[in-house]
Amino acid sequence: MNADVLIIGGGIQGCATAFHLARQGVSVIVLEKDYVGRHASGVNAGGVRLLGRDMAEVPLSMASMQMWQTLDQELEGETGFRATSLVNIAVDDADIVTLKAREQKMHALGLTHETIIDRDTLRELLPGVNPACIGGVTSSLDGMAIPWKATNAFRLAAERHGAKVLEGTELHSLRRVGSVWLAQTSAGVAEAPVVVNCAGAWADQVALMIGDNVPLSHAAPMLMITTRMPPFARPVVGAVSRQLSFKQFDNGTVLIGGGAKGFADRARNRTRLDYDKLAAASRTTIEFFPIMARASVNRMWAGLEAYMPDNLPVIGQAVNADGAYHAFGFSAHGFQMGPVVGQVMADLVLNGQTRFDLSAFRVDRYDRKVL
Amino acid sequence: MNNSDSGFDCAIIGAGPAGMSAAITMARHGVRPLVLDRAPRGGGQIYRNAAGSSLPDAGVLGPDYTAGADLIRDFEGADVRHEAGADVWHVGDDGRILYSLNGETRQASAREILIAPGAIERPMPIPGWTLPGVMTAGAAQVMLKSDAMVADNAVFAGSGPLLLLIVTQYLRLGVPIAGVVDTTPRENYLRAAPLLPAALRAPKLLAKGAALLASLRRAGIPVYRAATDLRVESDGRAKALCFTSGGQEQRIAAENIFLHHGVIPNANMARALGLEHIWNEEQLAWQVKRDEWGQSTVPHISVAGDGGAIVGADGARHGGRLAALNMLMRLGRIDLPTRDRLGAPLLAEQNRLAGFRRFIDRLYRPARALRVPENSDTLVCRCEEQTVNDLRAGFDEGARDPNALKSRTRCGMGPCQGRQCGPTVSALLSDWRGEPVADVGYFRLRSPQRLLNLEEFSRFRMAVPDQEAAE
Repeated sequence: MNADVLIIGGGIQGCATAFHLARQGVSVIVLEKDYVGRHASGVNAGGVRLLGRDMAEVPLSMASMQMWQTLDQELEGETGFRATSLVNIAVDDADIVTLKAREQKMHALGLTHETIIDRDTLRELLPGVNPACIGGVTSSLDGMAIPWKATNAFRLAAERHGAKVLEGTELHSLRRVGSVWLAQTSAGVAEAPVVVNCAGAWADQVALMIGDNVPLSHAAPMLMITTRMPPFARPVVGAVSRQLSFKQFDNGTVLIGGGAKGFADRARNRTRLDYDKLAAASRTTIEFFPIMARASVNRMWAGLEAYMPDNLPVIGQAVNADGAYHAFGFSAHGFQMGPVVGQVMADLVLNGQTRFDLSAFRVDRYDRKVL
Repeated sequence: MNNSDSGFDCAIIGAGPAGMSAAITMARHGVRPLVLDRAPRGGGQIYRNAAGSSLPDAGVLGPDYTAGADLIRDFEGADVRHEAGADVWHVGDDGRILYSLNGETRQASAREILIAPGAIERPMPIPGWTLPGVMTAGAAQVMLKSDAMVADNAVFAGSGPLLLLIVTQYLRLGVPIAGVVDTTPRENYLRAAPLLPAALRAPKLLAKGAALLASLRRAGIPVYRAATDLRVESDGRAKALCFTSGGQEQRIAAENIFLHHGVIPNANMARALGLEHIWNEEQLAWQVKRDEWGQSTVPHISVAGDGGAIVGADGARHGGRLAALNMLMRLGRIDLPTRDRLGAPLLAEQNRLAGFRRFIDRLYRPARALRVPENSDTLVCRCEEQTVNDLRAGFDEGARDPNALKSRTRCGMGPCQGRQCGPTVSALLSDWRGEPVADVGYFRLRSPQRLLNLEEFSRFRMAVPDQEAAE
């Protein structure tokens, strides 16, 4: 098995990278130990969110948001993307102070995509909201997509351009011999001059094989989905200072998140749920939207996700090896960035540079820090 | 908040023949088990309402049913903590159990857990199987047992002992039947014949089956053998069942069509627990991997009765007792030689019944076309309305695993939690991939095992004690 580029991990970052490389004529192999979209990329909440991003991520996230608007056409596929807008709800004056402070910072940088809204506008956007809520912030470009579909749309588009995606194929070892990487996999040896690490919750192990040490942790953010409810919330809903996050799909089902974490068992490739925290998420949801008291939970689950200590991803070149690149550690908000990250990685691999400032995402940013 | 969190030596989930038998055995040896079942009284599906039938004469349901009343009496006389109406929606491998009772989520934990979730009917996805007027024969039987309700001039279609039993119960009640459409493939009789001698070691069961068949013949109901190409004709609701039998196209007009072709373990709880499963090619079903005492791959979790593998009511009783003996040993109440001595006759009995079961499995092996739907418009997933065609499109887009296909098509995401489509999805994928079902696998399932009201759940808090105090 030979290719120009070997990508480890068939999540959205790996598949998007494969797509952007393959369509420029680069031969690509994607190694995926389970199946495409098995973990975080396939089972996340599907939020496509620019609102509230860390400043360092805003340029990438904005570019990605533009790409989402026309992604279905570009991939000739179906990502399930809908620009429904997103609203973060403010419950008290402290929330408004937080929002105003952020607005000032954003405006100073010339960023105007977030709009603070008052009580009446909030009520207009979300008629079912608890009357005690006093306002919020919204971003009209934001929306949602179907995670597994979006990830797979990248995969199918990449395959149409000749990329090879090997599912059920595990990476055992990786070593640099001269100017190529030799990858020992469960399906034999793969050889490529360039390797891209998109291994999600397992990316620290791959980074280690490449030679970079990184303080990655993993966790299992939990979600639950209800049976169909009458339409009551078109925008994706969050809260400024509370663990609230949900979205209602076209079919009426409501996906409740909020960042509560279950128990991640990476070694056994699985997660366990923390019902106490899910019950708390139910309380918060009903508190904000009393209509949800009528809903019934149909399914609950969690995915394995990778986190960096600063909740910012690692994107860029490896520091301790040639011909190696990283894109991982998105800390539960990488799905939206998939489209642009694929492009950035392709630019790095082919041109050695990108138009984005990646200094905040360096893999060695913790090298001299004691955590 | 009154969420109880009591630590029990033993918790038993399901009060059918397996669960009740296990509970009685535990109680006899001085362990008071917690028994959780959603029904108001013990009995399970097979003995549903057997202790308090609303029929004027429960005898019409057959001697087995009334025998269930004795077991229920023993169970109700035993020293067990029976939480009637407890709907268990989560069992964790950490020994934690969550259940709903009177609109409240409660918690319990136990050193040893026996799950006895029973069987569900194998889905029978023929064209039109989801139309109003079509239901499973099991559902018809539930109506009969719970509410003494019957449907006149119904068609019964399919195969297997339960189908025959329900037909017989209808006959005893004098309810007119439009016809019986037997889908048992002709070759099954030949294939089952060599297993007959082993089945003869359980002559009573065999005689029971023969009696059912005889009563059918005596009643003079039209019976169509080796029927194929079943489909429901409709004008929005069922009008007739069409099929081929004896080389001829047939049509029986009926507003009620009852389908059934066997039962399979109700595996959702065992799956969500992460218990290992194996594919049983004889029963064409997944079963829980266990030792002869019912102990699963998670040591403190045992499974007994049809929920582990289809064994029938008698097998379930023995299985429940065996699991109880093993749990008693694990709890230090009896020693290993005692367990083995008390278990030996039960194991011998299990062994004898197994011969009969193999014969029945072979004889009533469901027709392939009824497990792997051939018509591309046939619905597979009724909750999300996914047809064979829809699933095939997902497969062609690369979703080759049941879970990938679920993510792609939403098949299995609905309120039935895959119970109605899961077996069909695995069968179709096996067919399309050209690989055994064992390699294809099954949906990855999670708790809750049933729909859980969000308001009820929101009132649940077991969390940190000082949080409780603050409120």
